[in-house]
Amino acid sequence: MKLKNIIIALALVTAVTGCEKKLDLAPISAVGDNGFYKNGAEVEGGVIAIYDGLQAVPLREFALTEMRSDNSKSKSREGDWAQFEAFTVAPTNQAVGQYWVANYNVIFRANVVLQNLDSVETDADKAQFEGEAKFARALAHFNLVRAYGDVPLIDKVIIQSDEDYFSRKSVSEVLAFIDADLTAAASLLPLTNEYGRASATAASALLGKVKLTAGDHPGAAAILKPLLTGTSSLIASYSDVFYKEGNAEVIFAIPYLNDDANESQDFSYEMTALGAVSGLNYVTDDFAANLSPDDTIRTPILINQLNTREVGKFLTTSADNRRCGNDWIVLRHADVLLMYAEAIMGAADMTADGDAINAYNAVRARAGQSQLTVGTDDLTRQALSDERRVELAFENHRFYDLVRFGLANTVIPAFATATGQSFEPTDLLLPIPQAEINVSAGKLTQNPGY
Amino acid sequence: MVKSIVLAFFLMFGFSSTSYAQTTVTGTVTNDSNEPVQGVAVYVQNSNKGSVTNAKGLFSLSASSSDVLVFKYLGYKDVEMIVGNQTTFNVKLSEDSEALDGVVAIGYGTQKKSHLTGSISKVENKTLDQIPIGRVDDALVGQITGVNIQMTNPAAGEAPSIKIRGQGSISFDASPLIVIDGIAVGSDPDYLSSIDMNDVASIEVLKDAASSSIYGSRGANGIIMITTKQGVEGPTQFSYNSYVGSKSVKSRDYIGNLDDWLAETEGESGVAEKREYIQKFGEGTNWEEVMFDGGLITSHSLSARGGTKNTKFMTSLSYLNDQGVLLTDNYEKLNFRLNINTKVSDRVSFGVVLNPSRTEQRRFPIGVHDALRQNPWLPTYLTAENIQYVNRTRENGRWADAKVGDYAMERMFDDFDLTEGAPDPANAGTDISGTSNQSALAKVLERDRRKYQTKIFTNAFVNVNITDDLFFKQSIGGDIRFTKYEDYNGVLSSRNGAAGSSARLRNQENFHTISESTFNYSKTLNSKHDVDAVGGFAYESWNRTDAQITASGFTNDLIKTIPAANVLGAYTSQTQEALVSFISRVNYAYADKYLLSLSARWDGSSKFGPDNKYGFFPAASIGWNIAKEDFMNNLKIVSAFKTRLSYGVSGSNAGIGEYDYIGLISPVGTAIGGESNGYNPTNISNSELGWEKLKEVNFGFDIGLKKGKYGLSMDIYNRTSSDLLLDLPIPSVTGFGTALVNRGIVENKGFELEIFANPLNSKDIKWRTSALLTHNENTLIDFAGASGLISTVDSKRPAEWIAQEGSPISSFYGYVVSGEEIDPQYIKNPFYPIGGQSQDIYVKDLNGDGVIDTDDRTQLGSPYPDFIYSWNNTVSFKGFDVTLMFQGSQGAEVRNISSQYIKNEFAGNQDYVAGFADADKVVQRIFTSDDIQDADYFALRNLNIGYTFNRASINKIGLGGLRIYAGGQNLFYRMAKNYEGYNPEGIDQGLGNPLTYGYQRGPAPIYRTLSIGVNVKL
Repeated sequence: MKLKNIIIALALVTAVTGCEKKLDLAPISAVGDNGFYKNGAEVEGGVIAIYDGLQAVPLREFALTEMRSDNSKSKSREGDWAQFEAFTVAPTNQAVGQYWVANYNVIFRANVVLQNLDSVETDADKAQFEGEAKFARALAHFNLVRAYGDVPLIDKVIIQSDEDYFSRKSVSEVLAFIDADLTAAASLLPLTNEYGRASATAASALLGKVKLTAGDHPGAAAILKPLLTGTSSLIASYSDVFYKEGNAEVIFAIPYLNDDANESQDFSYEMTALGAVSGLNYVTDDFAANLSPDDTIRTPILINQLNTREVGKFLTTSADNRRCGNDWIVLRHADVLLMYAEAIMGAADMTADGDAINAYNAVRARAGQSQLTVGTDDLTRQALSDERRVELAFENHRFYDLVRFGLANTVIPAFATATGQSFEPTDLLLPIPQAEINVSAGKLTQNPGY
Repeated sequence: MVKSIVLAFFLMFGFSSTSYAQTTVTGTVTNDSNEPVQGVAVYVQNSNKGSVTNAKGLFSLSASSSDVLVFKYLGYKDVEMIVGNQTTFNVKLSEDSEALDGVVAIGYGTQKKSHLTGSISKVENKTLDQIPIGRVDDALVGQITGVNIQMTNPAAGEAPSIKIRGQGSISFDASPLIVIDGIAVGSDPDYLSSIDMNDVASIEVLKDAASSSIYGSRGANGIIMITTKQGVEGPTQFSYNSYVGSKSVKSRDYIGNLDDWLAETEGESGVAEKREYIQKFGEGTNWEEVMFDGGLITSHSLSARGGTKNTKFMTSLSYLNDQGVLLTDNYEKLNFRLNINTKVSDRVSFGVVLNPSRTEQRRFPIGVHDALRQNPWLPTYLTAENIQYVNRTRENGRWADAKVGDYAMERMFDDFDLTEGAPDPANAGTDISGTSNQSALAKVLERDRRKYQTKIFTNAFVNVNITDDLFFKQSIGGDIRFTKYEDYNGVLSSRNGAAGSSARLRNQENFHTISESTFNYSKTLNSKHDVDAVGGFAYESWNRTDAQITASGFTNDLIKTIPAANVLGAYTSQTQEALVSFISRVNYAYADKYLLSLSARWDGSSKFGPDNKYGFFPAASIGWNIAKEDFMNNLKIVSAFKTRLSYGVSGSNAGIGEYDYIGLISPVGTAIGGESNGYNPTNISNSELGWEKLKEVNFGFDIGLKKGKYGLSMDIYNRTSSDLLLDLPIPSVTGFGTALVNRGIVENKGFELEIFANPLNSKDIKWRTSALLTHNENTLIDFAGASGLISTVDSKRPAEWIAQEGSPISSFYGYVVSGEEIDPQYIKNPFYPIGGQSQDIYVKDLNGDGVIDTDDRTQLGSPYPDFIYSWNNTVSFKGFDVTLMFQGSQGAEVRNISSQYIKNEFAGNQDYVAGFADADKVVQRIFTSDDIQDADYFALRNLNIGYTFNRASINKIGLGGLRIYAGGQNLFYRMAKNYEGYNPEGIDQGLGNPLTYGYQRGPAPIYRTLSIGVNVKL
């Protein structure tokens, strides 16, 4: 009897000790979101995460932009990568889908920071974080609207039941939103910031480009003018722009590291013969032919001298050639100078304005090229477009430059025909990724022509 | 001599033998029909003195007057007699109808077979341990209805896939829960890899939800219960089992044949130069023979079982080595077991199970499709004869230093000048390479992928008999696994040379502890009411750690561990889990006729969200033993007739991660100012996250005729799995691609039929035959608004699956071929590469609109079989015994992408030139029904012929028993006509996602084994 009682008691004890507390286990290798973003350091953690998210954006951006233009193509014209140069991009194309996802991920990370700004203790930090988040959000939306046309506009953190947000907003509405974000960022951010982080200069430079895209040339000129004599400037060596990280010409860049499992990029690898289908972003004959023979400063940087069809701006110095550290330059001073000239020119076919021609000349001078004489020569649209093409080659500007300049519907079809491809005007926009349309409950529609 | 040494090693309990005056006692043992019974164990209780009756039922041994003689024979009740003054004993044994009835393990207890109301199948280990196969689950093929065991990747040591009654989950592979000697270890097939089949006494499979609901939130995919052999009272029985088998793969006319190609291309222009050059290499290489090098499988197992009235033990030591049929694959297993059961006092007994094991596996490092796709002319190594063809100036002198003994690579031989008879230094000669890839032989031999596992499974329990009918059992157990993955890819292992070298080390530790306390009550009231009840409580916890280091940049293969300078990246992580359960069940039988079973289990898991922490899993089932009714007395032929109906709710938590309901934030880094610390949410939180639910109705009946001579068993079931975990794809504008929710409904319905007969059952010849048939239909009922979701496995070859409500979860989707092939004249290089096949094919315009576009796709089949069947035969005749098992599957299809590689469909040579008719009506083969092939097969899975030597003659040489046997596995394996490959059961990609099931890309081949073995009893 006594034994029986002891045992029953033991059993009950074991039953009681297994109470509910044991079922609430906290994760050990991760942090739960309910207790986070409670102070400035944690919100800054969210800001750093935005820059981590930005690292995914340029990885294959070259395929969506340079390879659709007359600057580059795939080496072997095989497989899904050839769809871009052939203008047969399928809605199921992986790079198209990944670009969409990467940009909306940046927007999400920016919105998370904006949602938790109240936890930041100091006003100075709060302003900076808000500026950085809005800059990133604007940059990502800008990437999306240029690539896909009408896109969903996400201005807060949403979950899968917020179906109203899934539908597309018009290009003008999105551009207006971007404009507002960048204007706010420019006022909140310091003029310069740590390399790789947004600054007021970056916000203004990007705002200039946005205004140009929206057709507001006077507005663009006003925003860009202070930058000409601002914190950034042309540096003497064209090579150093790309191979000396953190140089004075770079306004905003996305940094990477050599040989790092998490912080390396592989677009440098893809641009070599080891890349997919024996090499992507290969220089076209058309580009090589259009280089001026006396442009001996820029040509060795534009085209890899060891393999004259590979791009030369992003040659890696890493030990593991798949883990490259070449940073991606989003905005630099040469771009600002040429944009300023573009803003002054406006809708005309040429301009004689002295400031515009001086800006153009500065870029030409650095490259040791002939310059225009103020008062005698005019800067034509064609010349400006050509200069942008060479100076900013392979930095993912060409396609959108042609669109902005109104040359996309003449230059691209001509190039396409010459290389045996066929181009439709609807090919100016990429297709909305099919996977996204499939899960949008019908809210997301496809672009015409796909 | 050997016997006593071994005895000393294994026997850990001293036997005390009191010495009294010894006399010789003799006697005869007969059965009900007064026939003498051979093989009855006669021994003196509490000693190791014993004997066995001979063919005439006679025995003889020495005993003293106070000794108790025990007579023991399977199927009959034990008889005990005190020696006393007698010297002659004539004993009559009576059948133990309970033993004939059989007892089945049902989870937290046992039940008589005649009282079962659920759907439970039991397989006893009679000759299963002689099948020359390394794993316990492989041996179960064809033995149990409702269980589909598929050799999805039969390389050495790899697990088959096991599905019980169809696929229930949309997001995770539905593997059954494994219970070993009462401890639920989990559903990872790893648990079945180290158990030695020789230790297994029986395997029960709990198939319906009513039986599996006793395991609550883990039972929905069925339960495999393994009961290991326990000690038996009596003299210690030693046995040694060993076999050796030879494995080989039957050649199939599949990869490109050089002779055929030379004959085909005779006289064709355009390939004349290639022909001439290729013939210089002579006969070429048979890559099938190189990669499927066959192997031996050997197994040794030594065990001892014995005990006294109070203490019983079983211990065993076993070793298995499986060389695998593929080049370099290998599996070794060492296993030790100790099962002890001891009565400490009248009321208390105590037991311990200890099972440490160690396995080492070397895995084949590439897919079989990759291994076979070299050109047949390519030699394996450079020799004095073929080194003259190596072009030393190509590719910037890449092979300038080539020497005899190096691996031969296709590109080495390009640019050969046929007129000069030497490699062309200007690189303008004849090319014959098909790929720039490194030779597959180098890829296989220079890559080392190993998996080491040390496991310790242990359990200790105490049984306290509180009263005669009520006992309390407390058990504490655990299973600990240390897994180490060591990979090394050498400098020759890829076409990138040293830049392609890499290494990886991964260490995982998995600690699982369980404490179970149950009260068990069993009583028969008024000899009519049988009540069996169990109630209790269990607590389990898991602690898992994982650490990995990767490295690269090795310049040579001298050091294969990871020096600090080569470290590329590393991480560690740790997770924990806890489960609290309350278990209860009552089984009631009235007069053995009316049966009722009710059970309820509550599970609280740390994995479930706070709104859903506890789950309730009830079950109820009834049965009616019609044969025991009075009105059935006239139908004497019917000895058993039972109908049963069950309904149960069971659950599955297999796919839920330990912290999935929390929105987790993980650290992320950037390259800004070095590595800064960022934090980012990696998933959306879900406080309602819970287990997947299964509700099932099962109706069954079992008929036995002529006292079990013939019998039939049938089960019809309907299973609805709901609240299925879905990683619901959501628009990326949310910042995430998916959110984990419980939605979704899948239905599985079908039937299981088993018919058996014992047409011959006499002393001289016995023949038992049984046929098993299983049919299951899988239907996706609700996919949370994503019906019609198209999924792919490989982004480079995005062949599609569709998940359509009303069809099976995983259905192949694509175009239907029209039957015509593109005229070879329009293919760029129709005769080259060797064994090539065009990448594209004509397809049908299904919607008749004259255009081939995405609207012309349709469902092309599904990977789930319609029927699985097997036919088992056991014949024993005069010492010989023959086991014959045929098994087959019908109705499944498989998406076999291997031909894209082996037939070089992607090579530019196989593209077409423009200008042929209907150029807009072709599509790549991978998107069409051309790659959907029948996965039907019919095989003689198992043949075993054994001979048991006459006991008397064996006893003369000092052994207790000897049986030799020869066996064959897959001696005959017929595949479907349209299947091109080596394994129709193979599935090796997209395995984690049930939506893309059935994708085959170079799985290991089906092999045949011929073996001989021996069972020795000492």
